[in-house]
Amino acid sequence: MTSLGESRKSGAAELGVGRVVAWLKAHSHQILVFVILIAGWQALTLWRGVYWFSSPWGVLTRFINGILGGELLSHASYTASEAVIGFVIGAIPATILPFLLRRWPMATAILDPVMVGGYGAPKLALAPLFILWFGIGIESKVALVAITVFFIVYFSALSGVRALEPKLVQMAQVAGANERDVARYIVFPGAVPYIFTGFRIAMPYSIGGAVIAELLSANRGLGYLIQFSATNFDTTGIFTALFMTTLIVALGNWSVNIVERRLLRWRPPPDVRMQTGT
Amino acid sequence: MSGQPLLEVRGLDKRFAGRSGRDTALWVIKDLSFSVPDGEFLTIIGPSGSGKTTLLNMIAQIDVANGGEVRFQSKSAPINDPKSLNPGLNCQIGYVTQEDNLLPWRTTLQNVLFPLEVQGRLDAEGRARADMLMRTVGLAGFEGHYPHELSGGMRKRASLIRTLVYDPPVILMDEPFGALDAQTRAQLQEDLLRLWNLGRKTIVFVTHDITEAIALGDRTLVLSRAPAKIVGDHPITIPRPRDIRGIMTHPDFAALYQRIREQVQ
Ligand SMILES: Nc1ncnc2c1ncn2[C@@H]1O[C@H](COP(=O)(O)OP(=O)(O)OP(=O)(O)O)[C@@H](O)[C@H]1O
Ligand SMILES: [Mg+2]
Repeated sequence: MTSLGESRKSGAAELGVGRVVAWLKAHSHQILVFVILIAGWQALTLWRGVYWFSSPWGVLTRFINGILGGELLSHASYTASEAVIGFVIGAIPATILPFLLRRWPMATAILDPVMVGGYGAPKLALAPLFILWFGIGIESKVALVAITVFFIVYFSALSGVRALEPKLVQMAQVAGANERDVARYIVFPGAVPYIFTGFRIAMPYSIGGAVIAELLSANRGLGYLIQFSATNFDTTGIFTALFMTTLIVALGNWSVNIVERRLLRWRPPPDVRMQTGT
Repeated sequence: MSGQPLLEVRGLDKRFAGRSGRDTALWVIKDLSFSVPDGEFLTIIGPSGSGKTTLLNMIAQIDVANGGEVRFQSKSAPINDPKSLNPGLNCQIGYVTQEDNLLPWRTTLQNVLFPLEVQGRLDAEGRARADMLMRTVGLAGFEGHYPHELSGGMRKRASLIRTLVYDPPVILMDEPFGALDAQTRAQLQEDLLRLWNLGRKTIVFVTHDITEAIALGDRTLVLSRAPAKIVGDHPITIPRPRDIRGIMTHPDFAALYQRIREQVQ
């Protein structure tokens, strides 16, 4: 039993090492870029001094201490929850609305200028207003994130609904599909890739929006941490918070990709699509 | 094959508006009439662009006519007003379109079961029938594949059995075997005839291929170039069951082929 268990364990370890090597090979260019960036940063630090640019090593130590001490994590999770709640509140109506409006092209047309205006308006300028309305707590940040996400996802979902293939609808109707079946089996699945494109674009905005709202006024969160560090001339603190923000964005991106890959198994893989030019 | 025709096309007109509002409307079909008795396998042959697909679209009620009428079971179907179109006339007219129109987000089997699902008839019997059809057309083993993972011919076959699975009394087919190799094509023609023999549905089958029109049909109509008119109406006297692969050697074949070919331009 033990020998079997051991051999399995060592096999797994080998597999793990093999995987890591394969990963490193596959991402060698990305790793190279990363190394160049870090080296450039280090050069700036040496040239201009730690005071202005902090240093990669300093940020890394601060980051690890912040994680271990729990303080950085608590700021990060505060910001992340603002982003997630705001994302959900903004994305759900933005996804549903184009489907409801599909039956009333008039309403879509009437709403269009409002939506285009809302999409184009710099939402960050609304942050002070939201702070006035909702206070400096989580609500004002959630509101800012929600409104930013809403317009991005709305236009993606709308283009998904508009990309509907009429021939598929006709086929379905001939086969006996009613209006609801068409919406459920044709319009919605066809729009899912567009909706996910919207999610992917909106995701960094949701975290950025939360951080910027915190910059203006807050007593928690990564934006607050940046503001606080700046008033103390603590560039290492600023860079650490920025680094954490980037990590959250990467994590969000990764989650969207996972869900998308699950839901869109029916699509040809992207490299094939590139080859065939579709 | 007596009494009232099941399907009737009377004085049908169709035109498409000219480009960019100019009034050079193009008549694709002008004053077209024919009728199809219950249980007939009618083949229609005509040159590319003669309006065959347009005709089937109107019969299936997914496109409006500019005049004339389509009658089904002696009742006039409302096809002059886009609002009153009733695609498929309550699942009584099946339509195997020229393009496969499979749903890319459904597997082959899910695509085949789609009509049963939306008609609320997805039971064990329906599944068994789908299974039988999948095997008949050589799609067994591809149930879980998505359309992009199938070959063009396999997609064609899937779209064919998607209509056969719910067994509508009339089936329109628009060049269902157009893109297949000769072997598969002959195989599927045989399968189709076998399935048709079991239920004797009414079939309107559009094709470019004179041999196919003769091999399958009880009767062949020949359409002219647009605006489409019927320029030939040939009963196919070759008795059934037919030997599809050897149809050319039948004594009546050569003469029929010759007469139809002279009319197809
Ligand atoms: N939506 C449309 N708008 C304008 N013209 C159209 C439209 N659909 C078809 N046509 C025209 O009507 C004519 C007949 O087209 P149709 O598709 O019915 O031909 P077909 O007989 O099915 O040809 P094929 O055998 O190549 O499939 C063609 O000249 C085509 O250009
Ligand atoms: Mg056609």
